[in-house]
Amino acid sequence: MPSPSLTGFEQRVVVGIAEMAVSNNQNVVFATYSLGSCLGVSIYDPVAHVGGLLHIMLPDSTIDTAKAAAKPAMFVDTGVSMLFRSAYQLGADKHRVIISVAGGAQIMDNSGFFNIGKRNYEALAQLFQKHGLRISAQQTGGLVNRTMYLKIATGEVRLKTSGQQEEVTLCKSSTTT
Amino acid sequence: MQELDDYINKVKHLPPAPKVLPELLALLRRENVDSSKVVTLMSYDPALTADVLKSCNSAFYSPANPIVNLQDAVQWLGFKEMYRIAAAVSGAKALGPAQSGYGINTGELWHHSVATAVASQIIAQKLGEDESVAFTAGLLHDIGKIILSEALEKIYMKLLEETERNQQSLLDTEKKLLGVQHAEIGGRLLARWKFPANLVSAVWFHHSPKAAQPNHRLASMVYLGNLVAHFMGHSYGHSALALRGRVDALETLNLNADQLPHFMIEAHERMAEVESMFKMAAA
Repeated sequence: MPSPSLTGFEQRVVVGIAEMAVSNNQNVVFATYSLGSCLGVSIYDPVAHVGGLLHIMLPDSTIDTAKAAAKPAMFVDTGVSMLFRSAYQLGADKHRVIISVAGGAQIMDNSGFFNIGKRNYEALAQLFQKHGLRISAQQTGGLVNRTMYLKIATGEVRLKTSGQQEEVTLCKSSTTT
Repeated sequence: MQELDDYINKVKHLPPAPKVLPELLALLRRENVDSSKVVTLMSYDPALTADVLKSCNSAFYSPANPIVNLQDAVQWLGFKEMYRIAAAVSGAKALGPAQSGYGINTGELWHHSVATAVASQIIAQKLGEDESVAFTAGLLHDIGKIILSEALEKIYMKLLEETERNQQSLLDTEKKLLGVQHAEIGGRLLARWKFPANLVSAVWFHHSPKAAQPNHRLASMVYLGNLVAHFMGHSYGHSALALRGRVDALETLNLNADQLPHFMIEAHERMAEVESMFKMAAA
């Protein structure tokens, strides 16, 4: 479960691997570390000021249904569904949510045997398409490991790449349509 | 070989050798392990003993009565589990510091190493192979990075350029810029530390497991264990995933790619336990 810690007025909540969290608390900043081939999915409703962050590990829950029941956030299908349902409960609206995605890194491989990052992304893109949802901002693939932050007060999504010191803005929320 | 030795000899700060591990590994291979020998061997390293006892008394194991000596620890956990704790904590000394030549912060190389150890062990378990050797080889697979980090720090920008722009693996970049790479340096270092030949070979060839014959099975387990750790984000530094896919690792072990997600799920469970045992940072 996410563990809150206080830093000034900001409350940083860590979302671990195969975890999900939503909030409408304006002090909360969600952080999910070290995505690797995993995907970080952030949604934010700029009107309701509700946001959520999900750290997905694998594309398809059917490979282990018992695990999917215990840890829905581990898989694209069950995780995204839980993320949206939880945000709706806090007043988020499907037509307003801004979606940002990061992670899905890959090793150097042309065989396709080791492309878990790519398969994660494809499963996610397909699911969004099926539900008429659009990704507003994304930084996926490549050889780097990313950490993702979502600030509930503004909806701003920031990224930090391993081996680099500075963070970059992935999505400014309300200015993105 | 001479080139590798020359390189190791000129490094200013060699990591501390986990001296008791090769001997403990040798004891583990015997059918009936005499626990008093284990205890005697480990007690030569008081710092290690203290760290092992601390982990045995952690919230994760929460023994009914505090475990105050190694004899109790062996009885409580069994020798194999205690060995893995001893390996992980002695690895922390060598692998804990930041490796700025790779853009790796304090604690991160150890975290990656433990994740690789756990994943390699899971694969060995699945195949009915020696879990302790797989765990140790996974734990120490990147030990050569500690030797190369210093030199790479001076040519950091060049390293980034070579790897990213030329889409080169980190290993190839090291070889090109330094004349040696971390896997062979690590293997040579472990040989000098008297680790068994199969473990040395698995570390030496953990990026090209086929070349490790006749130890290609162990090398393939470490190769795949390393991949699982990278996929799950237990992976740090710049171009963290700049390593080549080796389908032969799957073929050698008669595994298929569909089994990798299952190894990831199991590694996720085990890592949660290990992180709570060692109170590892989330990042």
